[in-house]
Amino acid sequence: MSLVSVRGLNVSLTGPHGRSLLSGVDLGIAAGESVALVGESGSGKSLTARAILGLLPPGLTRTGSIRIGDTDIDPGADAMAPLRGGTVALLLQDPFTMLNPLRRVGRQIADSLVAHERATSDTRRMAVTRRLAEVGLLASVADRYPFQLSGGMRQRVGIAAALAGDPALLVADEPTTALDVTTQRDVLALVRRIQHERGMGLLLITHDLRIAFSVCDRAVVMYAGRVMEDGESTVIRARPAHPYTRALLAAEPPLDRRLVTIPTIPGSVPRHDDVAGSCPFADRCALVSDECRRGRPVLAEHDGRRVACIRAAEIGTGQSAPSAVAPVPTPGDPGPALLSVAGLGKTYRGSETPALIGVSLTVAPGESVGIVGESGSGKTTLARCVVGLETPGSGSITFDGSDITDWSSLDATRRRDLRRAVQMVFQDPYSTLNPVRTVGATLREALVAMGQPAGRRDLAQLLTLVGLPEGYATKRPASLSGGERQRVSIARALAGRPQLLVCDESVSALDVSVQAQILDLLTGLQRDLGMALLFITHDLAVVRQVTDKVYVLHHGACVEHGPTGQVLDNPRDDYTRGLLQSVPREDSGWLMP
Amino acid sequence: MTAQSPVRGRGLVRRGFQHRPGAMVWVSLVIVAAALVAAIIGPLLVPGATDQHLLTGITPPGPGHPLGTDQLGRDVLQLLVAGARTAVLGALVVALGSLVLGNMIGVPAGYFGGWRDGLAMRWADLMFSLPALLVAIVVTGVLGGGFVLAVLVLVVLFSPGDARLARAAVLDQRHRPYVEAARLLDLSASRIMSRHVWPNVMPVVTANAFLNFAFALVALASLSFLGLGVEPGSPDWGRTLADNRSQLLANPWAALAPAIAIVTTAVAVTIVGDWVHERLEARGRAR
Amino acid sequence: MTGQEWARFLARRVAAAIAVVLVLSFGIFALLYLAPGSVEQTLLGTKPASPETIGAIRAQYHLDEPFLVQYLRWLGAALHLDFGTSIRSGSQVGTEISARLPLTIVLVLYGSALAVAAGLPLGVWAAVRRGLAVDRLATGASIAAVSAPPFAVGLLLLFVFAIGLGWFPVYGTGETPAQTLWHLTLPAIALGLGGMGLIVRLTRAAMVGELDQDYIVFARARGLRGRTVVGYALRNSLVPVLTAAGLIVTSTLVGTVLVEVTFALPGLGSLLVDSVTFKDVPVVQAVALLLTVLIAIINLVVDVAYAVVDPRIALGREAS
Repeated sequence: MSLVSVRGLNVSLTGPHGRSLLSGVDLGIAAGESVALVGESGSGKSLTARAILGLLPPGLTRTGSIRIGDTDIDPGADAMAPLRGGTVALLLQDPFTMLNPLRRVGRQIADSLVAHERATSDTRRMAVTRRLAEVGLLASVADRYPFQLSGGMRQRVGIAAALAGDPALLVADEPTTALDVTTQRDVLALVRRIQHERGMGLLLITHDLRIAFSVCDRAVVMYAGRVMEDGESTVIRARPAHPYTRALLAAEPPLDRRLVTIPTIPGSVPRHDDVAGSCPFADRCALVSDECRRGRPVLAEHDGRRVACIRAAEIGTGQSAPSAVAPVPTPGDPGPALLSVAGLGKTYRGSETPALIGVSLTVAPGESVGIVGESGSGKTTLARCVVGLETPGSGSITFDGSDITDWSSLDATRRRDLRRAVQMVFQDPYSTLNPVRTVGATLREALVAMGQPAGRRDLAQLLTLVGLPEGYATKRPASLSGGERQRVSIARALAGRPQLLVCDESVSALDVSVQAQILDLLTGLQRDLGMALLFITHDLAVVRQVTDKVYVLHHGACVEHGPTGQVLDNPRDDYTRGLLQSVPREDSGWLMP
Repeated sequence: MTAQSPVRGRGLVRRGFQHRPGAMVWVSLVIVAAALVAAIIGPLLVPGATDQHLLTGITPPGPGHPLGTDQLGRDVLQLLVAGARTAVLGALVVALGSLVLGNMIGVPAGYFGGWRDGLAMRWADLMFSLPALLVAIVVTGVLGGGFVLAVLVLVVLFSPGDARLARAAVLDQRHRPYVEAARLLDLSASRIMSRHVWPNVMPVVTANAFLNFAFALVALASLSFLGLGVEPGSPDWGRTLADNRSQLLANPWAALAPAIAIVTTAVAVTIVGDWVHERLEARGRAR
Repeated sequence: MTGQEWARFLARRVAAAIAVVLVLSFGIFALLYLAPGSVEQTLLGTKPASPETIGAIRAQYHLDEPFLVQYLRWLGAALHLDFGTSIRSGSQVGTEISARLPLTIVLVLYGSALAVAAGLPLGVWAAVRRGLAVDRLATGASIAAVSAPPFAVGLLLLFVFAIGLGWFPVYGTGETPAQTLWHLTLPAIALGLGGMGLIVRLTRAAMVGELDQDYIVFARARGLRGRTVVGYALRNSLVPVLTAAGLIVTSTLVGTVLVEVTFALPGLGSLLVDSVTFKDVPVVQAVALLLTVLIAIINLVVDVAYAVVDPRIALGREAS
């Protein structure tokens, strides 16, 4: 029997001319089945989940039919209200904001218990303990406030609370995106285990195809508010039919080998209405034909799954041709270090644990060095100390013969020269540019500050360097996509042609297809301009693609370092090994303990 | 937060509905504009408004005097126009003065932190532990009243609010990458504050200036009502109200009209301020 | 939070409040020297100035001693509720204040109670029904209420309900407690209206913010119903609501000055205005100090209430 059946779902902004955000979405979930809804940002996957729960934000309207079991859900009144909790429950993505901050955890779980368990304080207590145990937490956690728990524990509490009403379907909206990789693995394994044990339906929303394939029986790939492909995980994984699915799979950087270039998808995800009358992927598709733009493809059976591509039969199925693997670099003499960090320590005021403990590293001219770690590892502190946004408590930093441990003690001219030589690209593309200034104003200011000519041609040259057209100078950040903003931010850092570029999680907030573009851009620039890269990331696959040498940080200390290939292929430290095992893979093996 | 990557995909899920300027906002804009015009050229429009006609005395509305006359025989409607100057301009000066002073203190406090911040905030805490109107009553009263003194006292007492607001807004911006990137370009602190940070803080502090305008209007009117702001016999709204409040039976409009003028102007300014705040915030969100 | 943490937290807050009162008391004492004219002249008031009277005044107020000593003397006496004699009436300042204080306290409590009782539910209701007619009406009314000065409102109320409709008395304070309450109703409404507007605005804003939070969506997503969800949001809105409550008490304390003058009530506020007009500095100092202490106490209570409401505040820890 079908648990949820969605037919022709449309969501649009309320009002006579409200634009559509998604349309024609069909989705079915059988009892006990696990389905992944996969897509990049703007694909409409989260809105689909919210629409099913009847929890669309104000200002949005849905049409189309949603059936839960045998009940047709009327879009008008809150017809879902009696079914939430007991039949369908939703788990949100951010464990830090999902729980009521001023209510003890146990009471929050108790609030959504089924009626007979809620009856007396004894049954309540027992039920809460049982549900905490189910997610692997001690009974004593019930008396804590959320702010006393770690992110992983909060997400477990969230799962316990979502499941307290014993729903037949759990909808989990990116439940691990805000977590570290090791915690992500634990939480996903837990969700999968509970789903199996309870025989519960699961709708998992994720941007990561590897997670979708490894956790769920079936995957539904969405793009620009439409379903592109829908089928068994094993089928799509082995033989993706839609060019988008294929391109997305290929753009995911592999962990086990370094590619010469990562296959990218040009451009970025369009808005639903901008591609209403054609295949939404047409403009970015390598296999596009005129026919693709003439009408909107419908989902049709093809080779054991449903796919929305009119050329599906013509282009066949299967993964795109494997990309060329880069040769392992022969470790030569790196020469004298450009940057050398020795015994760096830092403890933030008001914090008891140090952020960095005696970290040492060297970067040679033109070398690409990675720093890997989870949150709290000190990797960002290290980067900020190098560029002078923080001052280390102990140890020293030397750049090109100058002591830059404390940037504020340098004299003005020397500091200016060093600023030109050391620059940084930040993480969040949405706050990396001043929203009130145009791209041109931002870049011109950087050129002038770095003592470079700042005429129209210089500006155009700088934009071209990062792959943006000249016309972008007059745009404001709001009209740029995340990837474009990150390109501008790279251009700003390159204004003075630095010898060392520090990238602090510079691709981690981007969609996979865009991430691949930026990674290719950065490696290309590093090669062409002969500059050194200090690349901070939590993503081991990214480290493999970009760096020659890697340092692994854990709780502020360096646990392992060496040539990237060596460290990733033969990790010596237990922590590195654990980290490697936590990287999502397309098979479910990585979720096994 | 310990999150590795910013939380994804919540753009549209997060955003609520937005307001459009309604009829109320238009009406309020007209009222504010009218009050400002009266404040600037009012005394020119009604040259003889403050001339006393003691023989006429207080009369109810009638021909020639749509709102009647007050106890000094002055036309109430003309008095209202003439009285806008002290009532409105004074409040405007308070709002702008406090905006400038507050930001000069709050922006560097938020940007630099440290002792500058500590000092500025202790000062603000101290000022905040006293209600502005109370201090204004005591200080202007004991020091001998006077309009200029009242305005100055209010500027000083309103500025901690602006300083706190500006500081909080700057603190929110200070660690954003675009500010740190500007620091990495070796730009001077004053340039970063004025060119990068302040334009992004401006919406909040501007909206607050409107609220201050409304509060200052009320505070100045209150002072004149108590006989502390302006000279007796001045056409100021608060003063006219006070002078005629015992004559509610003879001509209620002599006291009610200035009361209504104060309330409508203050309400209109607040509504415009709210609308400006919403507009600027929506623009900020769209960025 | 443990008892020790509580004790440390309370001690810190009390010390801060005392420090504020001390700093301000210095300013209040200095008023005597800031008043135009010589200090002797100010203290003599309308009495004729002769070498004898000036000498007597100098001796009585210890004007020959250093400024700081005078301040400490004054403060010491004030701690024993001795504020000297009124220049205007010649009677003890303490007696004058204690005669007037009860009325003002009743008025402030009455006005604040009206403000909170009307404003809090209205703010919550408006937030829950965001964007609907109730919300528009409440928001509009609160803007008007916040912006309208109490004396103007008082005048309108007097005109409509006392003179026009005759439902309430125009003057006086009544004889029995019931009558007093009856007489103070219009003043209390005039006084509380601004506070009500404030609490509607702050409560609505806080509730709207909380209702937008993920934990509310999550609560609804696991089947919690309306009242529980609103309860979640209200609990988390309490800190701003408490701020509003504190502001209301202080603003009514100030507003009472205007309302007492408007309704010709013999309270502390009208005493302050009369004394200010007469330059009766000892009385002004006493009333100002009293109000400063009252406001410091209100702020202290609000601060402690924050910590009771939100365990993260007292622990000095911020939510992630």
